[in-house]
Amino acid sequence: MGKKDIDRLYNVFKEQAEAVSARVYRVKDPRDAGRRLTQIFQELNVSNVITAQSDLLRECLGAADTGKVTVYAENLREHSEDAHLGLSEADLAIAETGTLVQDSTALEQRLVSTLPPVHVALVRTGRLVEHFVDALEQLNHERAELPGYIAFISGPSRTADIERVLTIGVHGPEQLHIIFVDRPGGEQVE
Amino acid sequence: MSEKEGLKNNVREALANENLRGALGRFGDAYIGARENAYAGKDFQELRGQIAAIKGAAAQNMEELARRFAESARSRGAKVYRARTAQEARDYIKKLAEEKGVRKIVKSKSMASEEIHLNEYLNQHGMESVETDLGEWILQLSGQKPSHMVMPAIHMTRGEVADVFSEEVKRQLSSDIPELVRVAREQLRKKFLAAEMGISGANIAVAETGTIVIVTNEGNARLTTTLPPVHVAVVGMEKLVEKFADVKPILEALPRSATGQKITSYVTMITGPTPAAYPDGSVRDKELHIILLDNGRTSMQSDPVFKEALQCIRCASCLNVCPVFQLVGGHVYGHIYTGGIGTVLTAFFNGFQKASDIQNLCLGCERCKRYCPGNIDIPRLIRELRRRVVENNGLPGMPKFVLEKVLPNRKLFHNLIKTARAAQKPFQKGAMVRHLPMFLAGLTEGRSLPAIAEKPFRDIVLTGHRPPATGDQTKVGFFAGCLTDFVYPQLGEAVHKVLRHMGMRMTFPVEQTCCGVPAIYMGSRKAAAELARRNIAAFERDGVEHIITACPTCAHALKHQYVELLDTDPGWRKRAEYFAAKVTHFTAFVAEKSDNGELPGLQRGNMRITYHDSCHMKGCLGITEEPRALLSAAGLQLAEMEGSDRCCGFGGSYSIKFPEISRRILDKKLAAIEATGAQMLALDCPGCLLQLSGGLDSRGKALPVKHTAEILAQQIAGSGKS
Repeated sequence: MGKKDIDRLYNVFKEQAEAVSARVYRVKDPRDAGRRLTQIFQELNVSNVITAQSDLLRECLGAADTGKVTVYAENLREHSEDAHLGLSEADLAIAETGTLVQDSTALEQRLVSTLPPVHVALVRTGRLVEHFVDALEQLNHERAELPGYIAFISGPSRTADIERVLTIGVHGPEQLHIIFVDRPGGEQVE
Repeated sequence: MSEKEGLKNNVREALANENLRGALGRFGDAYIGARENAYAGKDFQELRGQIAAIKGAAAQNMEELARRFAESARSRGAKVYRARTAQEARDYIKKLAEEKGVRKIVKSKSMASEEIHLNEYLNQHGMESVETDLGEWILQLSGQKPSHMVMPAIHMTRGEVADVFSEEVKRQLSSDIPELVRVAREQLRKKFLAAEMGISGANIAVAETGTIVIVTNEGNARLTTTLPPVHVAVVGMEKLVEKFADVKPILEALPRSATGQKITSYVTMITGPTPAAYPDGSVRDKELHIILLDNGRTSMQSDPVFKEALQCIRCASCLNVCPVFQLVGGHVYGHIYTGGIGTVLTAFFNGFQKASDIQNLCLGCERCKRYCPGNIDIPRLIRELRRRVVENNGLPGMPKFVLEKVLPNRKLFHNLIKTARAAQKPFQKGAMVRHLPMFLAGLTEGRSLPAIAEKPFRDIVLTGHRPPATGDQTKVGFFAGCLTDFVYPQLGEAVHKVLRHMGMRMTFPVEQTCCGVPAIYMGSRKAAAELARRNIAAFERDGVEHIITACPTCAHALKHQYVELLDTDPGWRKRAEYFAAKVTHFTAFVAEKSDNGELPGLQRGNMRITYHDSCHMKGCLGITEEPRALLSAAGLQLAEMEGSDRCCGFGGSYSIKFPEISRRILDKKLAAIEATGAQMLALDCPGCLLQLSGGLDSRGKALPVKHTAEILAQQIAGSGKS
């Protein structure tokens, strides 16, 4: 996929995800992603973070200022009740609907994205696809068997159960921040 | 109190509930636009064709798919239990909970678990089963039942919710919605963290992979399926599809049709058990139990007509567009599944007797059919339900006499109408009947009735029609229908005048009688079939090239329902098909035969008009552009009203059975008409003409209401301008 295509998909994604109250950023590399994380931590006055594990997460967190923040990467169930922010990497992003796709078979992936009031997801920009069906095909293609738990996430948790008034943040996160990283680990996007 | 009186009382209570009507009305209005936006760029017809094919095939092979699903899910480590009845499902879950020492259960929303009254059962056995969907939790705390399949607590106000929550948390809460939601989050979070078992439903179950798909917005299903070490999914067998690829069209349609969202916040696909944290701190695979619930579904599947209902994806769009549901909400339906499709599902899951009264609530406007993403002909299923109820219980006395003795005997029927005309005289003022004896009181509530005409159209025809002077004299048979024949003969006159202007010769086969729709809607297929045969024979004798009618309800019966009614007799079926092929509604016929939708040789009008799309005109015949083109071409300025295709509330005898519902629907329509500032209301249905002109008259409004045929006829040179 060329840069033009990626830019187009990103723009569609951003528009769609913002329409369902997500916040979307795009950064050059893990160092910039770290800066963005730092800003989020400061703005929201975050002190406890739980994180799932991946290379990209490690690099971006490594670049963030975590001086005032305690980051838990293990025993998440124990720390999840008090965590302000959960951090995870999404496997794919669907432009058409502004949706993140995540193989959430590992318990950690689910805990960080369901319990804390804020969920921050990192995505490799090259993992944008256009349609829902593209995401399903890619998942099928890349894995020997269907993952045990696939999560599609579009915006924060919401309800309209009282008088049809839309309210953001019921059982899941009240805020969803999505950071696209163009050059994870420094390599170029083709 | 009989079930029937119970239903009437429930309707009265619902209509008196301002909260309910306010919330449902606001949602119903916003829904149409939101849904349309969500479907932008998608081909709804194609999508629902795909869903109908997928779900139809799955219903056909339900047993095989259940077997394959069980096999696939087991190979991924899930335990699958086939429950034939509600009791089997309840017992399995109870026993499992007892074995595991479970006391605390969290539930995410599941219609199937409501259908089997699972909560009550578990609570009776000493377990705490908490609903975690916000709406469901509100209802659980207040001891109420859901009033809508997707928005269960839509009938409650924020103030009522605040009262319910205040009692739960033992302090007075304000009625600020975000605050109430926060309280629910805090309270239910504790429940999630402490729960030993999570119970969910599923929106789709994939046989090929053993996957269940769950669609939510609040995120409660994700917590329910993540935190407790035991997960039980209660899945109705109609949720099965064959292949993983089949989920795509269903997931595209479900949120769009349900709430006007392109996608819900969360879509979860679960294949086999995944790790959970156990109380001892260890993390290992949880137990996943999937209960495939039959409870009436296989008997539905083996029914040649009702198996279509298994194509339902539970989006509730049929409720959202239903003019009756919008007024009365789900509670009057008395069961878990509400609205049109709910009536059919209730018949199979809870018994035919339960459904026999609530099916009466259907107006027959057929709006739901246009919106159903499963492409289910819901009105047809309700008619069939009605037919079977009549088959079992028989018709009540008076309708039975009219349908079986009077209607098939044309002369008796027509003589009775003439007698009724004589009887109405003392109550008549101008062209409207204002007061009727007590027993017909329901008829005039909020609407004046028109008087039965001095001379029916059939008598006028016999005395005075001349063939056209020019043109090719194409022979067109006119089917009047009862309202045109006996109440609005001027419509027949207008049709005749326009056809003559077009150089065509109109004939009126005098042996024609009622189209049979009242019999179809009353559930008397036998009487309807007899009327169909009489009408077909009458027009065959006349040897006409085209058959036209000014009534879309008659046209729908003649064109679409006669073939179905006479299906069992090959000879009659053929005749019905030949007959049906010639039938057109007057307005579509004129548009088709005239120049680019413009009838030549008319004087130009200049009035500002608004046009009402009759349910059967737009919904069943698909005619909506033609009248607008003809009227605009005749110089009239069209000011569109809000919701031009919303029902006027007539529905034939419906306005007699449920006068209060009919009147409320009428009120809404009249307000929309008035807001346009039009000088005239145009329409194409004598039934709507009766309802709307009567409604305007009883409110003292002088706005003229005209059929397209009358407007065109008036503008033919020499008739004076409209």
